[in-house]
Amino acid sequence: MQDDKRSIEIHIPSEYGYEKVAMASAVAVAKRMGFSPDRIDDLRTAVSEACLNAIEHGNKLDVSTKVMVVMTVQSEGLEVNVQDQGRQRLPSDFPQPGEAPGERHRGIFIIQNLMDEVEFSSMDAGGNQIRMVIHLNKTSE
Amino acid sequence: MGEELKTTIRRQNGLAVIQFTGDVTTFAEDVVQNAYQQVSRSGVNNIALDFTSCEYINSAGIAVIIGVVTEARRKGQDVYAFGLSSHYQKLFRMVGLTDYMAICENEAEALKRISMPAA
Repeated sequence: MQDDKRSIEIHIPSEYGYEKVAMASAVAVAKRMGFSPDRIDDLRTAVSEACLNAIEHGNKLDVSTKVMVVMTVQSEGLEVNVQDQGRQRLPSDFPQPGEAPGERHRGIFIIQNLMDEVEFSSMDAGGNQIRMVIHLNKTSE
Repeated sequence: MGEELKTTIRRQNGLAVIQFTGDVTTFAEDVVQNAYQQVSRSGVNNIALDFTSCEYINSAGIAVIIGVVTEARRKGQDVYAFGLSSHYQKLFRMVGLTDYMAICENEAEALKRISMPAA
């Protein structure tokens, strides 16, 4: 694989179960990039949780909305952006890495503990975004 | 899109094993609760959750498991889990599930644990 940036963009319906499409795509990309099986499991779960968060909370299970997943291959890792259409603005009181998970934010807690970089943002045009990066050459903890 | 969860229950030497086949997600709540209530009503004190045939567990599914384990502990029942991949073992530890449920490598280890006298 060349070192330049390559992107894969997927749009999934805001319906439980379609997160598996994004998970399968992320696994395929990560395998191609040479991630270890343990790290691929971490990525698979993080993508699942980010998509579920977008489907359930960001888009409020509104089937007229989509969740966009953009995976960008980088020389040092894989960046995954998960965007919803903002039927609901996500709260800003997410737990910090290492904090005990609450009932509501368990998925976010898992993402923060599995990925190497995680950022949450609200877009000017509406919608919420989770940006996650998983680094190559790092072992699963 | 998801694989619907099915459960089967078996009993062996004082251990009730709930075997999960399929996905443990938000849709699993009724199935898991029904299986748990069935074994709980039978008066068993040791319950094992068999994840060997379960490939996908998400945070909503973990919440379902936490609900069952919490209720079991409240009733004085001991809960064990086996058949989990190393990744899901890590997730269970991460969210604190292992504070209330012991993870075993297999059913034989769960049986061995319940046969050991309490310290």
